[in-house]
Amino acid sequence: MAALLRGLQVGRVLRSLGSVAVQRAASPQCSSVRRGFHRAALLRVHDDSKNPSSTHHEHYQAHSSAQDTSADEGTSTSTHEASAGGTATGQEDPQVNTSYQDQSGEQNEDYETEEQLAERILTAALDFVPQYGWTVESLAAGAETLGLSSASTGMFNNGAGDLVLHFVGHCNAQLTEILAEQHKQIQLGQAEPKKTAEFLRDAVETRLRMLIPYIDIWPQAMSILILPHNIPHSLKHLSTLMDDMWYYAGDRSTDMNWYTKRAALTGIYNTTELVMLQDTSPDWQDSWTFLDNRIQDVVNMAGTAKQVQSTGEALAQGLMGAAVTLKNMTGLNQRR
Amino acid sequence: MRGFTLAAILFRPLCKGISPSKLTGRLPRNTRGYAVIPPPKNSKEKALLDAMLRVDHAGEYGANRIYAGQMAVLGRSQSGPLIQHMWDQEKEHLKKFNEILAENRVRPTALLPFWNIAGFMLGASTALLGKAGAMACTVAVEESISEHYNSQIRALMELDPERYRELLQIIKQFRDEEMEHHDTGLDQEAESLPGYQILKTAIQVGCKAAIYVSERI
Repeated sequence: MAALLRGLQVGRVLRSLGSVAVQRAASPQCSSVRRGFHRAALLRVHDDSKNPSSTHHEHYQAHSSAQDTSADEGTSTSTHEASAGGTATGQEDPQVNTSYQDQSGEQNEDYETEEQLAERILTAALDFVPQYGWTVESLAAGAETLGLSSASTGMFNNGAGDLVLHFVGHCNAQLTEILAEQHKQIQLGQAEPKKTAEFLRDAVETRLRMLIPYIDIWPQAMSILILPHNIPHSLKHLSTLMDDMWYYAGDRSTDMNWYTKRAALTGIYNTTELVMLQDTSPDWQDSWTFLDNRIQDVVNMAGTAKQVQSTGEALAQGLMGAAVTLKNMTGLNQRR
Repeated sequence: MRGFTLAAILFRPLCKGISPSKLTGRLPRNTRGYAVIPPPKNSKEKALLDAMLRVDHAGEYGANRIYAGQMAVLGRSQSGPLIQHMWDQEKEHLKKFNEILAENRVRPTALLPFWNIAGFMLGASTALLGKAGAMACTVAVEESISEHYNSQIRALMELDPERYRELLQIIKQFRDEEMEHHDTGLDQEAESLPGYQILKTAIQVGCKAAIYVSERI
């Protein structure tokens, strides 16, 4: 302990020397020197606690020269101050560290539960959407059913946007579950595999039917979804939905078809959604007829594209044959 | 006259090349629950692997197009069978990455049509410089690709070598085959081309840019 006090005293003296030098020389270097010394002193504190006898000697030897040079400057008052300040920092630093770790740990746990809580509030709020619309009021009502203050809606920075995006994500997850279940049954041989067009038609219908409980206020949700700050999220949800549908429809393309297929289905989905908003027929029959027709359009278009492609290939082959014939006739067709 | 010959060769149906002499053994499949890529732990890992597979797929696709361009010009010259052999190996690589991409629902890069044209143009234009030009192009491209594979191997080894064992095995095999092509190119006097260093540097800068872009778009 005596060695420790001594070391700290030396530290304080050196620091005062350093501060004199600061005024003359460039400050960053000196401050780094000072910091370095602090660190060294702290390390010594730890070392001392481990094996006091050996460090005593090292300490003494290492700093004997420094002590010599500053011996005349060191007074009894500075010794007291140094020892008091030094021990204080020595004790404080570990405490500060541990308390910081504890706080961050607590914050992490809080964050997790906050996400889960947000999920619960959003799900509860969906029940009030037909009554209050896609608004913060629905969120507040949902929070109150969970026994929370309506002020807890303050945790949703995006308010109604969060609610709509939660609903869209929720529906997508539900559809994926349904499609995965169908896929499993087909693999087990309990169900007949559908044709791609039929499969996609059913998938789109299943997904759009999830909007029916909220159909009267769905235009409001659509307008919220295309607000600039919501666009990245709503596009993400839309692309995930299209990818899921195509994946379970058995699409494994890794070329430009990947893009054209998803673009075509996005078009079909969004137009049918719009038709549905104005549909007054029983059980939305008109919308499903519209959907059938659009799917048929795409099937026809794909067939046409294939025909054009095969025609083009045949034409190219014919041209190639003609070219070879011409070359043979003119005697140009020699092997290099 | 030249263009005429080119067009005729261009549409020539692909003949089977000589039997590959040094094709390494087939990859073992489905030794675990999954084929190649383990199910992702989190979205970060998924994004990382997606970018890796996307750029590998794009690279193999581009390499295929380069060899197609070379074959269109040099297909019936003496170096035809050699180029065909390297092309066949690249086709195997592309097939493997097609499988992996489809299986893991990885989006292919949106620039495929561009790589299609750019690759073919690069292959055909260097082949028009003659055999040495084509080989210099091969050396430059294969060197870039094997460097790229090496950096991926390093990244995967840092993450978790055991978890990505199958993927590492595939990438290592492909890396070795690309290196083989690189050495073949050097054996075929690629360096005898005037301006070899300039061409090589230019192609490699292009490859770096293509890798950078394909990881992102």
